[in-house]
Amino acid sequence: MKRRALWSTALIAPLALYGCGSAAGPESSGGGGEGGTLVVWDWKSGDETAKSYIEAAKADFAAKHPDVEVEFVAQPFDQYYNLLGTAIQSGEGPDVMLFNGGGQLRDRTDALLPLEEFLAEDMERLAGWEAFSADGHVYAAPVTLQGHPIYYNKALYAEAGLDPEAPAATWEAFLADCEQLTEVTGADCFALGNKEGIGIQFFLSGLGSGVLTPAEYDAWIAGDRDWVSPNVKRIFELWAETEQAGLNNDGVNSTAMFNDEFAIFDAGDAAHVIGLMSDVGHWKDFSEFLGAENVGVMPAPVVTAGAEPSLPYDGGIGYGVAEWTEDPALAADLVRSLSSATALEAFYADAGAIAADTTIDASSSGPATAEIVDMLPTGKPALHVALSAETLELMGRLSQQLLSGSVTVDDALAQLAESDA
Amino acid sequence: MPPLATPVRTPVRPGTPTPRRRVRSGRGAAGRSRAERLAPYVLVAPAALIIGVFRLYPLALGVNFSFTGDGDRNGQAVGLDNYAALFEDPLFLASMRNVGLLVLLLPVAVLIPGLLATFIYLRVPGHRVYRSVYFFPAVLSPVIIGAIFNLLLAFDGPANALLGTVGLGPVDWLGDPDIAMFAVVGVHIWATFGMALVVFLAGFATLDASLIDAARVDGASLPRVVRHVIVPGLSRTIQFVVVTTMIGMLTSMFGLLYVMTGGGPEGSTYLPEYYIWFQQGQMGRPALASAASTVLFGVMLVVGLGQIAVLRRAGRED
Amino acid sequence: MSPLRAGRWLAAIPMAALAIATVYPMVFTANVAMKTRHEYVLDRFAPAEGLRWDAFATAWASADMGRYLANSILVVTGSVALLLLFGSMAGFALSQLRFRGSRLLFLAVLSALFIPFQVIMVPLARTMGQAGLIDTYPGLILAYTAQFLPFTVFLMTSYYSGIPPEIIDAARIDGNSVYGVYGRIMLPLGRPALLSVGILNALFCWNDVLIALLLMPSAEHRTLMVGVTSLRGQYSADIPTFAGGVLIAAVPVLVLYLCFQRQITAGVTAGATKG
Repeated sequence: MKRRALWSTALIAPLALYGCGSAAGPESSGGGGEGGTLVVWDWKSGDETAKSYIEAAKADFAAKHPDVEVEFVAQPFDQYYNLLGTAIQSGEGPDVMLFNGGGQLRDRTDALLPLEEFLAEDMERLAGWEAFSADGHVYAAPVTLQGHPIYYNKALYAEAGLDPEAPAATWEAFLADCEQLTEVTGADCFALGNKEGIGIQFFLSGLGSGVLTPAEYDAWIAGDRDWVSPNVKRIFELWAETEQAGLNNDGVNSTAMFNDEFAIFDAGDAAHVIGLMSDVGHWKDFSEFLGAENVGVMPAPVVTAGAEPSLPYDGGIGYGVAEWTEDPALAADLVRSLSSATALEAFYADAGAIAADTTIDASSSGPATAEIVDMLPTGKPALHVALSAETLELMGRLSQQLLSGSVTVDDALAQLAESDA
Repeated sequence: MPPLATPVRTPVRPGTPTPRRRVRSGRGAAGRSRAERLAPYVLVAPAALIIGVFRLYPLALGVNFSFTGDGDRNGQAVGLDNYAALFEDPLFLASMRNVGLLVLLLPVAVLIPGLLATFIYLRVPGHRVYRSVYFFPAVLSPVIIGAIFNLLLAFDGPANALLGTVGLGPVDWLGDPDIAMFAVVGVHIWATFGMALVVFLAGFATLDASLIDAARVDGASLPRVVRHVIVPGLSRTIQFVVVTTMIGMLTSMFGLLYVMTGGGPEGSTYLPEYYIWFQQGQMGRPALASAASTVLFGVMLVVGLGQIAVLRRAGRED
Repeated sequence: MSPLRAGRWLAAIPMAALAIATVYPMVFTANVAMKTRHEYVLDRFAPAEGLRWDAFATAWASADMGRYLANSILVVTGSVALLLLFGSMAGFALSQLRFRGSRLLFLAVLSALFIPFQVIMVPLARTMGQAGLIDTYPGLILAYTAQFLPFTVFLMTSYYSGIPPEIIDAARIDGNSVYGVYGRIMLPLGRPALLSVGILNALFCWNDVLIALLLMPSAEHRTLMVGVTSLRGQYSADIPTFAGGVLIAAVPVLVLYLCFQRQITAGVTAGATKG
């Protein structure tokens, strides 16, 4: 069957070539820098809340290069990397593109320009570079920081007779608080959505620093991961135990993190949620529903003696430059404008992102923001960001099985150790 | 094997096939002019050219691409490595098992619009309204449909509330790996039956209405009318709907899967299409994704041509 | 009451229920579009607090919708015209004419029907790029025509093979050429099928996002559905605006269907007279 199809193709192909020959010349139609236009791909510039950020970045760039036009093309996020992959393979794509930090960028460094020589001046001012670096090169400039603070609802704490300003520091105390919270207010302890299998990622990173010792934590980030060690095992046991003890909302495996899990917390139906710092499911969203004064941020409760809780965060999103762009210095200048202080300030204020620029004063946005910013200096990279996309996917599936009880913790860890090897 | 070679009956009386002839324009029509002999080729040429250049030629290139590597081995020939990797990947195997499940559920997806079209044809009270509104879900984006059903099928959503009132326990529609696939397929059928309905209605236009009237005079029951008049008269339409519904199930459920389950829970709702998207977009392995696409193409070709053959034989025996 | 008639009344009840169920998502979407984001998060089912048209206005303004709408109409009209013309020509030839290679051609069309878009995505983008068709209207029209032509040819072939050859024989005896038979007999007879496949193709092209994204990279060439889809961010935060955009995009196709659906079935119920 296939042979026949190919045969008819062979018949038709010469005609096609003839047709093409008469078409326009072979010059590339992709966005080049020479004609005075830079093309940027992202999934942000269409958002209402990012408008002022894009405007500020454009203005900053226009001051340096008044004759160069910049075109932002907002792509739908679900097809973004698919389109980018196709553009990379067919050699027709944007000059500048947005990336999530971590694996998505590292998988595509072949198509990106190393930027360290262009960005040297920004190294001090911005944080989150690790997520955009690979093999000693920097491939994008961070725009936001993304991390996983544990948020709690102070109004529910007060209602349950707990001190809203003194959340539990140890796991036992935390469990006791939860019992009281549920008894008095009827709210669940955790809002959790694991439909996409990413609930476990937030759980691992949000609570991990209270379980692993600092040495274990650093070794994990450095790539030396002992999946069957008692403390790693403890994290996954906690994952299963919290579900069995009824600390989560119902139907965790069918609840979407975006945005059902956060809606549960917004509505005051759960006392804690491991959220994000930027984009969504974060202080700005929660403040809108609960009131800024009622949104608290707490460090991970200590489970194992010797653990030192820290805020897990990395570079969130950042712009990189395509390897095929005609004028790398020009494109890099645009990247610099996109992470300039004025642009990031606008992004922080309107979109509620924790910007990568640590000089921005965020203290005016309420106690939760101030606490997050305070925790940044002692923060560490998140545990799950260090894992490969493959291991993360497997961990997501196994976490759902752990909740439904169809796999044991030991089995799951053995599979993860094999995948991560 | 293709339908053109088969004499197709024009139903005169239920179950009495009449052989048909074709217009001869090739050999045997010696008196015809050269232009007349070339006419069929002229009629087919635009379609053949476009399909050849923009579908079959890229297909050949795409299949070729599946024999190259990803990442460090980008561009290198790796033989069958991608295919070997596929058949060792439990996710891909799970997606192929789900293809089997979809093929088993196919009759349901065809039967529903078929029956509905029959009733509209028979002028059920209110048929004009049904004809209009049944198409509504088809025009909505799968993302919105998925979002709506996410809410309806939520653990604490209206579907479970309804079950609760009749004393049945809550069902974790999208969280139970044994149920989620059926839930998603159900929503897909619900969202697309309007399109098949339109095709069926067009098919009814070729039915000889006097046959139905004759059956009615004979006092035939509905199942008998369907069995002996409608099914034989619509065999081509049914065949078409079966094949295109299968293609729809295998290649256009991405939007629903993305919104409703993300392939989960526990990987139970992976379909090859979702797997391809995942490998190409999220894992950065386009060559592996190409190999998966090629396997999907092969499976669809075999199943689709198989269906056509079976349906044709069934039509002939009728 | 004849058994047929009784059966019809029995069927009317579930069919009415189904009709309600098919209207519900439209109502639900409209309701969501009238909510604020705040209202939506707190209770998705409750009726909106008032008739708010902000979501439609925001959706219309934030993605350059007027321009996108014009792009969509241009591309969809062009594609559907080509699809119907080429599809009916090929369907007629493959179903009613006998010629050397017809089996092979039909097989090629069928196999093209089974190609998942992903497998040809990259090669197609490259072929289009080499032909200078990326980011051009003819390029996208050609791509849509190629994408949905196998479906169209298959449907027209199925439909035309249900037409009794006596009709064609009679026309030939009257002195019509093959082209005359196509123009005077097959096109008018194919009306129900052409209308329904036309509507389906219009729907497919109208709702396509992936091909348009791939082949029309620049912002001013975008189609309506691409604009609407881009309203969703990474975490689909503003559902009411998105719902507004979805409804704006759905209305033209719905109107098209409602205009033509009577004609699709015009020939259908004509015979089943005495109800």
